[in-house]
Amino acid sequence: MESPLQRQSPEAPGKDAAPNQSSTARQSLFAARAITVGYIVPPGIALALAIGIWEAWVRAASIPVYIVPAPSVVIARLTGDFGFFALHGGITLAEALAGFALGAAVAFTGATLMAHSRFLERTLFPIAILVKVTPIVAVAPLFVIWFGFGSLPKVFIASLITFFPVLVNAMVGLRAVNPGALDFFRSLHASRTETYLKLRLPGSLPYLFAAFRISIPLSVIGAVVGEWFSGDRGLGSVIIVAHSNLDMPTLFSAILVLAFIGITLTVITTYVERKMLFWHDSTMAF
Amino acid sequence: MTDATSGSISLSGDTPQQLQRRKGIGFVSQDAALLPWRTALENVRLPFQLNTNSAKSESLTTAEQTLNAVGLAEFAGYYPHQLSGGMRQRVAFARALAISPGLLLMDEPLSALDEMTREEMRYELLQLWERQRPTVIFVTHSIPEAVVLSDRVVVLSPRPGEIVDDIVVNLPRPRLQEVERSDQFLEYTYRVKDALSSGIPAATPIA
Repeated sequence: MESPLQRQSPEAPGKDAAPNQSSTARQSLFAARAITVGYIVPPGIALALAIGIWEAWVRAASIPVYIVPAPSVVIARLTGDFGFFALHGGITLAEALAGFALGAAVAFTGATLMAHSRFLERTLFPIAILVKVTPIVAVAPLFVIWFGFGSLPKVFIASLITFFPVLVNAMVGLRAVNPGALDFFRSLHASRTETYLKLRLPGSLPYLFAAFRISIPLSVIGAVVGEWFSGDRGLGSVIIVAHSNLDMPTLFSAILVLAFIGITLTVITTYVERKMLFWHDSTMAF
Repeated sequence: MTDATSGSISLSGDTPQQLQRRKGIGFVSQDAALLPWRTALENVRLPFQLNTNSAKSESLTTAEQTLNAVGLAEFAGYYPHQLSGGMRQRVAFARALAISPGLLLMDEPLSALDEMTREEMRYELLQLWERQRPTVIFVTHSIPEAVVLSDRVVVLSPRPGEIVDDIVVNLPRPRLQEVERSDQFLEYTYRVKDALSSGIPAATPIA
């Protein structure tokens, strides 16, 4: 956590700063590699074992494919018609990301307004809570009636589900400023815009990313739920069709693709977060 | 920053607001309160990037010189989390001094530091002060700190904060570390101490 620099005495500024820095960099590289190995190998083995047992069990007990397909059958289905899954996975992904972008943008704008005005907060926040507590599944059919059978209702459902976590965290983040820094801005008669852009906004990023890590997987859920209710595109509708045909290999393949999308999005979010929040405690855990 | 309970403040004929508008006030808080996403140098440049319609406009060389003056030129590209507590506080001094303020407000700026660093920083502050000689209002709980740094020590009583004594310190400048061993210095510290204890009602037991 603490870099050797912090323990360096103030009388000798920089004398051995450079070697210190490079040795910590090297250490952290080793540490990162050890962590990668330590974090990937054990769960990888566990997963391989589980799949192996599943395969053996299905074969040994000759379980019919319309109940549980063997992993090998699922993989064959997935790779055999990869274009089909990529197309529908891409549609679901695009709807989820568009919904997330829309929901996050509206939420952040709302948070900015509410963080600056208690009156707006008292007026709008209860409405936001109302939106949050309404089950999204209950609203989804309504959206289909309003916005048709294309991608639009899915995007709106995804944005609705991502909205609340971003709103709450952005509000907390925009308000959680270092009081000393705020006094410093005031002592120089900084404008509200300057205080917002140079202090509140960057300071809210750790809170925002915490929200993104919740909201981005949620947006995929929103898109899939939307696809259940209408349309013939996207993994949600693939699942519905496969389900009604008892086409288990297709259904499992769709689930697999969704899991892959979820993991990829999470990894990307974490990576961007580490890059942007290099200055924040949360990214210095290693 | 906070509204006055009563009375008014006049700084060479200006209200504090007017002085703030002209960027005439430097401010250092208890913790360094640097922006963690900016390097040391970018933190010192910050005052030039705020309230930009005032006359004091952006100047990279001034920021660099000020950082140099606090002895951190080599650490210009370091982020606050890479610096020690004392270094961070020095960046905060540089940030306040960069705009050459006529008035410097310091709210217990050394209180977050360990005792050794704190004692050294007193004299570093005095040296820094000699460069521009601004008026400094320095809040502290340390009696030696108050005596070493000040021309005038105003002793406040705890709750309600009222002035119990106003002591003029006539120690010769420039003051070096040896000053703390002089009899004069000790006399002043005792006076401050007495004033402080007189401000506490005798009947108040420490719970």
